[in-house]
Amino acid sequence: MPDRLDPRLSIRHVVVSVLLTIALQSVTSAGDAVSFELDVQPILAAHGCNAGACHGKQRGQNGFQLSLLGFDSDFDHDAIARQARGRRLSIAAPESSLLVQKATAEVPHGGGRKIVVGSDAYQTLVTWIRQGAPRRLADEPVLESVQLQQTEFALAPSESAALTTIAHYSDGTTRDVTGMTSYLSNEAAIVQVDSAGRLTAGPVPGETAVMARYMNHICVANVSIPRTEALPEGFYDDLPRANFIDDLVYDKLNQLRIRVSDPAGDAVFLRRVYTDVIGRLPTPEEAMQFLDSQDSEKRAALVDRLLDQPEYIDHWANQWADLLRPNPYRVGIKAVLNYDNWIRQQFRENVSHDEFARRLITAKGSTWHNGATTLFRDRRSPDEVATLVSQLFLGVRLDCAKCHHHPFEKWSQHDFYSFAAFFGKVGRKGTGLSPPISGGEEIVYVSTKGDVRHPVTEEVLAPAPLFGDVDLSADDDPREALVDWMVSPENDYFAKVHVNRVWAQLMGRGIVDPVDDLRSTNPPSNPALLDALANHFQQSGYDQKDLIKTIVLSNVYSTSSTPNETNTGDRLNYSRHYRHRLRAEVLAEAVAGVTETTESFSALAPESRSNQVWTHRIGSVFLDTFGRPDPNQDPPCERVADSSVTQTLHLMNSRELDRRVRSDDGRAARLAAGKQSAAEVVTELYQAVFSRRPTAQEQQYCETQITSAGENRRGAIEDLMWAMMNAPEFVIQN
Amino acid sequence: MARSWTNCEGLTRRDGLKLGLGGLIAGGLTGALASRARGAAATDAKRRPAEADACILVWQDGGPSHYETFDPKPDAPVEIRGSYQPIATQTPGVQFAQPMKKLAAISNDLAIVRSIRHDQGNHGAGNHYMMTGAPPRIPVGCGAFVSFHPSLGSVVAKEIGAPHGIPAYFSLPRMSRSGGPNFLGSKYAPFVVPDSPNSSSFRVRDVTIPSGLTDDRFASRQQIRKHIDTMLRFNDASVADPTLAVDEFYGQGMQIISSKEAQDAFDIHQEADEVRDAYGRNTFGQQALLARRLVGAGVPFVTLYHGGWDHHTDIFKALDSKLPPFEATIAALISDLKQQGMLERTLVVVLGEFGRTPKINTRGGRDHWSNAMSVMFAGGKTPGGQVVGATDRQGYAAIERVLSPENFVSTIYQKLGIDPGQMMYTPEGRPTHLVSDATPIAELMG
Repeated sequence: MPDRLDPRLSIRHVVVSVLLTIALQSVTSAGDAVSFELDVQPILAAHGCNAGACHGKQRGQNGFQLSLLGFDSDFDHDAIARQARGRRLSIAAPESSLLVQKATAEVPHGGGRKIVVGSDAYQTLVTWIRQGAPRRLADEPVLESVQLQQTEFALAPSESAALTTIAHYSDGTTRDVTGMTSYLSNEAAIVQVDSAGRLTAGPVPGETAVMARYMNHICVANVSIPRTEALPEGFYDDLPRANFIDDLVYDKLNQLRIRVSDPAGDAVFLRRVYTDVIGRLPTPEEAMQFLDSQDSEKRAALVDRLLDQPEYIDHWANQWADLLRPNPYRVGIKAVLNYDNWIRQQFRENVSHDEFARRLITAKGSTWHNGATTLFRDRRSPDEVATLVSQLFLGVRLDCAKCHHHPFEKWSQHDFYSFAAFFGKVGRKGTGLSPPISGGEEIVYVSTKGDVRHPVTEEVLAPAPLFGDVDLSADDDPREALVDWMVSPENDYFAKVHVNRVWAQLMGRGIVDPVDDLRSTNPPSNPALLDALANHFQQSGYDQKDLIKTIVLSNVYSTSSTPNETNTGDRLNYSRHYRHRLRAEVLAEAVAGVTETTESFSALAPESRSNQVWTHRIGSVFLDTFGRPDPNQDPPCERVADSSVTQTLHLMNSRELDRRVRSDDGRAARLAAGKQSAAEVVTELYQAVFSRRPTAQEQQYCETQITSAGENRRGAIEDLMWAMMNAPEFVIQN
Repeated sequence: MARSWTNCEGLTRRDGLKLGLGGLIAGGLTGALASRARGAAATDAKRRPAEADACILVWQDGGPSHYETFDPKPDAPVEIRGSYQPIATQTPGVQFAQPMKKLAAISNDLAIVRSIRHDQGNHGAGNHYMMTGAPPRIPVGCGAFVSFHPSLGSVVAKEIGAPHGIPAYFSLPRMSRSGGPNFLGSKYAPFVVPDSPNSSSFRVRDVTIPSGLTDDRFASRQQIRKHIDTMLRFNDASVADPTLAVDEFYGQGMQIISSKEAQDAFDIHQEADEVRDAYGRNTFGQQALLARRLVGAGVPFVTLYHGGWDHHTDIFKALDSKLPPFEATIAALISDLKQQGMLERTLVVVLGEFGRTPKINTRGGRDHWSNAMSVMFAGGKTPGGQVVGATDRQGYAAIERVLSPENFVSTIYQKLGIDPGQMMYTPEGRPTHLVSDATPIAELMG
C-alpha cells in the first residue's frame, strides 16, 4: 500500500514497485502509518465518494458532506472523524465503523458497494481508523505534483497504450498512483480510457485529449490517431499559401496525413464573406461586380470594402450583444437600450479590442448616460462580474471555483475571490433593480472601500490576477490595474479567447471548443495556430478588422466544403469548409434582401434590420424559429445552430413569409411589372437568392416557367422565389 | 470516473462506436434505427410492454403548493395549514384541499404521489431535475433556463415518434425551461404553438398551406423546388453535412401538409361546442383540448405549460382565482379522455418543480420547498383512487415511501415502454444513462 514510505522507491522503480505493491498489499500493512491526506483521501476520490453526485455535492448526501473531489482535507477530516458526534468511526472496532460499513454496503448505502471487504482500499481505511484516524502524521510530506510518464501518444486505430501516473511528494518520494487516478477522454469515440489508465484508440483517425486527475492535480495526455496511408509525396510543398494560417493548418494536416479539399470558387467565397463579415447576402449588382471582375486582387478589395460597410457594425455588435445583453425586465429598459447602443458605438468607432475591454470593465457614471455601466447594474456583486469578465475576456470559466475548487482546473476559491476583489470597490448609488420594471437610474463609481472575503475562511482578499502580478498603486480604481494586466502582452489569454471566437465565427468551429473555455484539459486542436493568431492580434494592436481580413484571405478560409477520401471525418482541422446553417439574423436579412420587404419590429424604427434588434424580448417568430437565444433565459445563453422541422415549416408556410414573397412592394412584383426578359429575371433571382449565376440548364428551366406562365408572370416569379428560398442552398452556407 | 465502453446493457465497444459515429452525429436514419433495434435486443429482459401511448404533462411553472392542492394538513398550526379546509374526495379516507372540488369528485381515477422530494430549491434547477430526471450538473440560479440532459418530451419524441410527419413533442404555449432536447439535437425540440386555441381565428402556425394559395399552386411549387435544388449532398455521416437534416425535415414538413390526419388534429374548430365549453373557454382549457386532439392523432408527448405558481406573496388570494378554472380543466380533460376511451392509453401528469414552504411568510405567501411536493397521475393503467407516500404531520418533508425525480421520470418512461435504464450516446459517443436510477414507482404501474 503506502509505497511512498518505502525508502527504496523512486520513479526508477516504478515497474518494480507495481509488482512489489501487489506482493506487499496482499500481506498486511498494518505496521505502516496511514496518512489521511495522502492515503485515505485518494481512496474516497477514486471510489467517487466525494464526487459531485454523491457526498461531494453542495449539501452532501444524507447528512454526510465531503469537499468536492477532496480539495479540502481539513473539512473532510472533520466530517468523517468529528461530525455526527464521531459516530462514523469506531477506533475500538474499526471494521464496524459506519464509514467502512457504508462503503462496503454492509449497512444499506444509497451509493451501493464502493469498496470490497478485504481489498487494499479496505485495509487502508481500517488501518487508518485503528491508528486513531489522525488528521496528519508526524513529518508528513505534501503532494507536490502529479505527472503522466508519457503525455503524447500517436496510436494506430484500435491500438492500446497504458497511461502511468506518478505522484511526487515534498520529501522527494514518488508513488505510482495510476490505479487511483480518474481519467476522462474528451472524445470517447476517438479514444477510450478505462479506470486503470488504459487507452484504446477507436477505429477511425482523429485526435483528442485525455485528462488524468489525482486529488487536485490535473494532467493531460494528447492522443492522436493519424491516418495510416501516406499522402502523395510533397503534396503540401506544392500548395500555394496566402499567409501563416495556411502554413500552420497545412502542417497539422500533413502530420495527420489528411489532404486539404480543393479551393472553392468565387461565388462560394462571395457568399461566405458577405454572410460572415457583414451578415447579409450580396445584392445581384454586388454579386455581378465581383464575379465579373478580372482583377487578381479582387478578393482583398472586396474584403476591404465589406469591412467599411455600416452593416459590419451591427453584425459584429450583435454578437457581443448576445454575450452581454441582460433581460430588460430585470435590469430596466433604458439601461439595456443604452448598453446595446454603447456596444454598437464601439464598433462604429472601430475601437481596438483592448480599448473595448477597458471601457467596459472600468465603466463609471450613470446607466442613463454611459451604457457600459449597465454591466455593473446587471452583475451586482464582485463575484458575478468576475465570472463574466474572466469567461468573456480571458476564456477562463471560474464559476466552479466560486463554490469549490475547480474540478478540471487549478483555480481555487482563493484564486476566484482574489480575482473578484478587483471589483470590490465598485460602488452603486441611485435606484437599484426592481423587476419587472427596474426603470431607475443608477450611478456606478469608484468607492473608497469595499472588501471581498473568502467565503469559508472569511479572510479579506487583496485583488490578485489569476497569474502574474499587477500594480495597484497607479490608480484608485483596481479595475484599471486589472485591465492593464489583461491586455498586457504577457497575458495571451486575452488575445487567444478573442481570436478563437472570431475564428469560430468565420470557420464554423473554434480551435478551442467551446470558444470561451481555454484550459489545459480542453486543449486547442492546433495550438501553434492559436498562438500565431493571438500573437498576430497583439501585434496589430488588437485590431479586429485586421484579424478578420487575415483569416478570410487565407486559402484555408476559401477551401471547398466538398470532402475528399482523406478528410470526410475531419471536423477539427479545417481540411474542408464546414457547412453550417446561416444564423437567425443573417437569414432574416437574406429574406429581406431577396423579397425586398422588411420585417416590422416593435420598439425599433421602421426598416430596422434584424441585427439591430436590441433585446431578444422584441418578438419575432422568425428569429425564434431559427434559434436566436431564448428570451426567457437570464442571461440568454447559447444560440441554436441546428435545423429543425419547424424551420422548414416556417419557410414553407408562414403567413408572414407568404405575404413578403407576394407583396405588391416586393422584388417579385417589381420584376413582374418590369421590362426585363425572362432570362434577365432568372439571372437576377439566382444572384439574389444563391449569389451565383444559374447554370445553362437552370437558366432554361426557370425561363420556361416564366414564359409558359403567360399572363401569370408574377405568379411564376413568386413561385420561383419561394422554391429557391425553400432549397437548402438558401439556408446553408456552403 | 473512466468512461468505459463495456456497460451493464452488454453493448460492446464496437456497437458504441457505431452508435456514436454512424448513427447520431448527423441523425443518420439507418444508424439510429439500427441502434434502436440493438438497444431493444439488449434490454428485452428488462423491457415491459407499454402501458400508455402518450403522455400529457401539465407543468405548473413556479412550483404549486402541496398544502393547497393534494396534501392538506388540517391538524397543523394555522400558520402552516393556511386558510383552506380539506375536503373529502370520491376515495374514502383521501382528502384534497378545498379548491380541488372537481378533481376530488373523480379521485378514483387519480393517483396522488405525496412523497417525491429533491434538493434543488430554485426554479432553474428544480425545473431541470423534474423535467429531465437529472440534477443540473453545475449549480444554477433561479432565473436559469438550463439543459444538461434531454427532457422527457424530447426522449419520447426520439424513442416513439409520431405518424404523418407530425412533430412528436408539442409544448403549448411555450417551451418549459428545461424541456429541450439537449444532445439529442433540435429535431427532438418541442413544436411550440404560441397562439391561443381559444381565439376564433386560431390555426396551428406554419402547418397548413398559407391561405390564398391553392393546392395546385402549392404542388407546382414543389415541382419547381425539386428542379432548382441542385446543391451537392455529402452522404457519408462522418462529414456531418447539415443539408441532410434539412432534407429530412423537408420530407417531414411535406408529410404534415399532405396528411388529413395531421390536418384534422390541428383543427380544434371541429370540436362540438359542449366539449369546448366543458374544457373551459379560456386559453388553458382549449390548449388541453388541443392536446387531447394531438394525442388522438398519435402525438406521444404534449406539455401544457401553465405559468404563475410561484406564490411568494398573498398565496390564498391568488389561488382563489387560479385554482378553480385550472383544476376544472384537468378534470374535464380526464373525463373526456375517459369518455373517448383514450384514458387507458393516455397518461396525464400534473406537477411543478417543487412544493412550497410550510410556514406562511410575512407577505402571506409560501416560498420554494423541494423537501415535499405532490404529483398527480391519471390514466395509462395507473391504478386510481390511491395516495402514494406521505409527508409528515405538518407537511415539512416526505417521510413515507420517499421518492426521487429519477423515480418520477422512470415511471413515465416505463409506462410509455421506454427503458429508463438504457444507455444513450451523445454525438461525441459519450455514453450516459437515460436515468441514473431507473426504478419506477411500483404503485403506479398497472
